[in-house]
Amino acid sequence: MSTTESTDAADRARRLQRVAELLAEAVTPQEVLDAILTEGVKAAEARAGAIGVLSADGRTVELLAQRGYDASVMVGWESFPLETDVPMSDVIRTGKPLFIASAKERNELYPALAQRGQKSHAVVVVPLAVEGRVFGAMSLSFDRDVEFEPERRDMKLTLARQAAQALARSQLYAAEQTLRERMTFLAEASELLASSLDYNHTLRQVAQLSVPGLADWCAIDMVGPDGEIERLGVAHEDPDKVRWAYELQDRYPPDPDAPTGVPQVLRTGEPEFFPELPQELLDEAIGDDEELRRIIDELGLKSTICVPLVARGRTLGALTLIAAETHPPYTETDLALAIELARRAAVAVDNARLYREAERGANAARALDYVADGVVLLDRDSRVRHWNPAAAAITGVDEEQALDCPVADVVPAWDALTSHVPLVPPGGAARPVTVPIVLASRERWVAVSGVEFADGTVYALQDVTEEHALEKTRSDFVATASHELRTPLAAVYGAVRTLRRDDVQLSDDDRTQFLEMIESEATRLARIVDQILLAGQLDAEAVDLELTECDPQRVAAGVIESAALHLPQSISLDLDVDGAQPIRCDEHKLRQVLVNLVDNAVKYSPEGGRVELRVRSSNGSCLIEVADEGLGIPPEERDRIFEKFYRLDPQQTQGVGGSGLGLYICRELVERMEGRLRVESELGKGSRFTVELPLRR
Amino acid sequence: MVDDERSIRLLCRVNLVASGIEVLEASDGREGLELARRERPDLVLLDVMMPELDGWTVARELAADEQTRDIPIVFLTARADPADRRLGEQLGGVGYVVKPFDPVTIGEFVEGVLVRVERGEREQLRRGITSDPDR
Repeated sequence: MSTTESTDAADRARRLQRVAELLAEAVTPQEVLDAILTEGVKAAEARAGAIGVLSADGRTVELLAQRGYDASVMVGWESFPLETDVPMSDVIRTGKPLFIASAKERNELYPALAQRGQKSHAVVVVPLAVEGRVFGAMSLSFDRDVEFEPERRDMKLTLARQAAQALARSQLYAAEQTLRERMTFLAEASELLASSLDYNHTLRQVAQLSVPGLADWCAIDMVGPDGEIERLGVAHEDPDKVRWAYELQDRYPPDPDAPTGVPQVLRTGEPEFFPELPQELLDEAIGDDEELRRIIDELGLKSTICVPLVARGRTLGALTLIAAETHPPYTETDLALAIELARRAAVAVDNARLYREAERGANAARALDYVADGVVLLDRDSRVRHWNPAAAAITGVDEEQALDCPVADVVPAWDALTSHVPLVPPGGAARPVTVPIVLASRERWVAVSGVEFADGTVYALQDVTEEHALEKTRSDFVATASHELRTPLAAVYGAVRTLRRDDVQLSDDDRTQFLEMIESEATRLARIVDQILLAGQLDAEAVDLELTECDPQRVAAGVIESAALHLPQSISLDLDVDGAQPIRCDEHKLRQVLVNLVDNAVKYSPEGGRVELRVRSSNGSCLIEVADEGLGIPPEERDRIFEKFYRLDPQQTQGVGGSGLGLYICRELVERMEGRLRVESELGKGSRFTVELPLRR
Repeated sequence: MVDDERSIRLLCRVNLVASGIEVLEASDGREGLELARRERPDLVLLDVMMPELDGWTVARELAADEQTRDIPIVFLTARADPADRRLGEQLGGVGYVVKPFDPVTIGEFVEGVLVRVERGEREQLRRGITSDPDR
């Protein structure tokens, strides 16, 4: 080896070292290419260099970069099929380096290149491989013929190895970089989606986040409640363009039956991906609309991805990404990212909707907790799905015992309760039917109405037992009152009819009796009518009392005086006063009460005897007692005699009659004067009624 | 004539006598039952709500006794409910008069009932209690 050669060798080694350092520093693929094609070509003492890589499908060679060739020479060589008969294709195919020493040798090997007027002399093409896999080649052209000794060949191969490793590393780095960006994007989008239940708002933010990194345009459309397409949001860097997009949407609303685009994706639930938007598709969509053609042309649509938002098998909407003026055409990786983004968005929307539904359901249940009517929801199989507390109270069955069970097991009387209830459709006027029923061994009257809908039946139950009892009391009152009036009315009417007979000569005695009868029965009628009216007023709380200071002794003496006027001879009537003090009461009403009690005492003493009215004071109260020695009251009846229309069994009272209202009215009046009325009695020995009234304070 | 109301008894008696009908009076159910057993009248005018025995019980007792079962009973009562009329029919009454009533025609009515009973129309009279409530 000569000195020059060894100097050359040392020089080459230094230059190779320099390239290695540059490549180590290069990070992006572009930096790597720059380093190879400047320092690498220089180190190899070549005039020009080019780097080509195999396409992803392995069928074409794409020229990544070149330096030193005339631009005119390279026209048409940006990308060429792998089968093309050129050195670079051969090297990539075989994985073997090619060292061509002269133009003559090249023209022999590649006659086609000779005609293309390539001026180069020697050519070296070396494969770029990583871990035994050839992914491209580097060609170096020299402006002279070169004899490639083994040492020079080694140098070229070393350069290629370094270039290949740097390039692979930088591409890996770039891919990682992209991946990281995507992951960051997905993370940000997910965070947005999880930030609020207002998915309309968050989806718009996600669209905004997608431009310009992921798309020039991003649109989100949702399926409305009636299946219509609702545009939720459109994003573009330029707000003017967004406004314009909405106008466009208004002018050209989407056709739900359109064979492509959002309608198609919503219909099928499948993504639609156009790496390169076919012109015929656009033409078809545009038709003869020149205005629309101008707009579409201006948009410069290149590539689109439209993916459905699918959750639990339902298509909720669609996400559209469009690459137009700046974004490169979409790849499968972009599609995968879009699908993942759509999946996350769909889950967020679904969650928000489920949450709202659950919340609505919970609110409804909470409201039903406080409704006074029983609400029972049955599914199609008559199983209990809802049982509110009022339903539990009416039926006596707890919610826990009722839920999910067949209603006939829960309430055996259910069929009797509901069989006559007309079921109306939702929105119909439910007509309640009132049914008597024994629930939890109590007789209840329940008003039931029912609405039938697609998933089952909802019943409303209202416990009207009290209203029904009140109604019964009212109708009983009318029946009994009319009954009470019939007998005196019969006597008066009958007496008048008889007196007017001209075919019969009545004796003077009979005539007198009839006249007395008319007088006394008419009085009886008037008293019954008064008592019915007063009882009605007491029921309606319409009795006004005038509470004033009065002397009980004076009132009692007055009552004795008037009673004595028509007293049977067998009865003796006495007044016994022991220290009477002024009381506070309605004097007129107190007189009414005492007259009634004395009348009763006389009436229920058919065998005669003593009736005594006693007045005394005790512990801040005034006690007025009416005692007789008459029939007495059986113990089991002592409370009931104060009920409206309650009368002692006529078999035990020897036919003593009345309106059935006297004692009811007495007790009501006394209680309204803040007093009490009570009775003590011994059967066959007599009774004692005691009015207790507060003393004047 | 069984009624605890003296005034009703008086009314019936005066008007029935005017029609030439002999009247015996009782002022409660027990007395009425005894009187009917003892005197076997042609017809009993029977009030319902009475002390001792009520009219329904008196009617049952009379029907249960072979000696008295054929005595026709006309109820004379303030009870105007259809349910009461049905009970009167079930207990074998041949008439049902609701108070207030016109005592002037009561003699005519009683005679009419007796004629029809004589003709063997008890069953029609009985069913008339509910099917023909005006009489």
